[in-house]
Amino acid sequence: MNAPDRYERFVVPEGTKKVSYERDTKIINAASFTLEREEHTIGNILRMQLHRDPNVLFAGYKLPHPLQYKIIVRIHTTSQSSPMQAYNQAINDLDRELNHLKNAFEEEMMRISREY
Amino acid sequence: MEGVSYQRFPKVKIREMKDDYLKFDLRETDASMANALRRVMLAEVPTIAIDLVEIEVNSSVLNDEFIAHRLGLIPLTSDRAMGMRFSRDCDACDGDGQCEYCSVEFHLKVRCDSDQTLDVTSHDLKSSDPSVVPVDVAQYAESGGYDASEQRGILIVKLRRGQELRLRAIARKGIGKDHAKWSPAATVTFMYEPEFHINEDLMETLTLEEKRDWIESSPTRVFDIDPNTHQVVVVDPEAYTYDDEVIKKAEAMGKPGLVEIYAKEDSFIFTVESTGTIKASQMVINAIEVLKQKLDAVRLSEETEEADDQFGELGAHIRGG
Repeated sequence: MNAPDRYERFVVPEGTKKVSYERDTKIINAASFTLEREEHTIGNILRMQLHRDPNVLFAGYKLPHPLQYKIIVRIHTTSQSSPMQAYNQAINDLDRELNHLKNAFEEEMMRISREY
Repeated sequence: MEGVSYQRFPKVKIREMKDDYLKFDLRETDASMANALRRVMLAEVPTIAIDLVEIEVNSSVLNDEFIAHRLGLIPLTSDRAMGMRFSRDCDACDGDGQCEYCSVEFHLKVRCDSDQTLDVTSHDLKSSDPSVVPVDVAQYAESGGYDASEQRGILIVKLRRGQELRLRAIARKGIGKDHAKWSPAATVTFMYEPEFHINEDLMETLTLEEKRDWIESSPTRVFDIDPNTHQVVVVDPEAYTYDDEVIKKAEAMGKPGLVEIYAKEDSFIFTVESTGTIKASQMVINAIEVLKQKLDAVRLSEETEEADDQFGELGAHIRGG
């Protein structure tokens, strides 16, 4: 009866930003990114990719509530980097990894279909 | 900053590839990537399914919404889906979902005039787009052995003499997150590749009978005995279900450490089954593409970055000294 519409889970409402950034007021080089209409799929790969960066001291994400369709990614870096830099780097690296994966998969498909 | 990269280069090896079934290895990446791909395949790779039904005449035994629901669940060939628009962000038709970029129209017109019950099936649906048609199950069945003439599409309703069903349906692009009818996946699973270390010296202290007994303790057939050397060998590592039965058995036999089994943290065995809407292999490619689009959508906008640069640097100096 009072269930939210299904599209609420993946359509960003008008006037809302997909990504917002908030710098931590107490700790230097720490910030939170709020990703609207995203969940574990993006949260977890971002977190794991950020962990590969030695300048990242802390990276974590949370889904605050199952009916609030957003995740919060928190990043804390050394003074050599910044949360924004680490965040951009993680996305770029993941994007390139996926490009590589796509090529690898397509090559493998060609190889297999030639065998048949 | 420049030149630094923490990128990985995953490897793929396809084991088995059929139209609706795919088994492959994914190596040199982590569980988050494997799980992201699995989740995207299940809930975010788009397909086409009937979403709006206008019923003109329905004198069948099933009510209108029952039939509408059944129509929605019929899988439609969706190779076009990746290039189509979602009707909610289609400019050509103001989102009412009636144009060629975001929708496909179907018509169904059946009337029973004989004493025999008439089966209304997915074959009776007439599509406005020849590339978007109900998945023909019978076509697969031909090669599978059973009689193709008996397998005539997906049953929607049965009519007796005098009953009639006439309707118009609009199929739209959608994703599994919205409604499961749009999910292209029947199953998508992955498992860690297991690694076995048999302590050969300890194993040789067992009699042949004890070895057989130990092998039998595994619920799946993972180990066997080499008929020539009488050594225990791993015959099917993937059959192992991480049940620990063989480890418990070894302890019960007073031989702890007989075998050690690890899960390789960077190696996954994927099994992908499709509903027939798109090929299983295409589903993986589309999943990668969708995941790329999702990542692109969460990139920081320039205004956000600039806003931080302006008072961010200054703020950092004030705060940090």
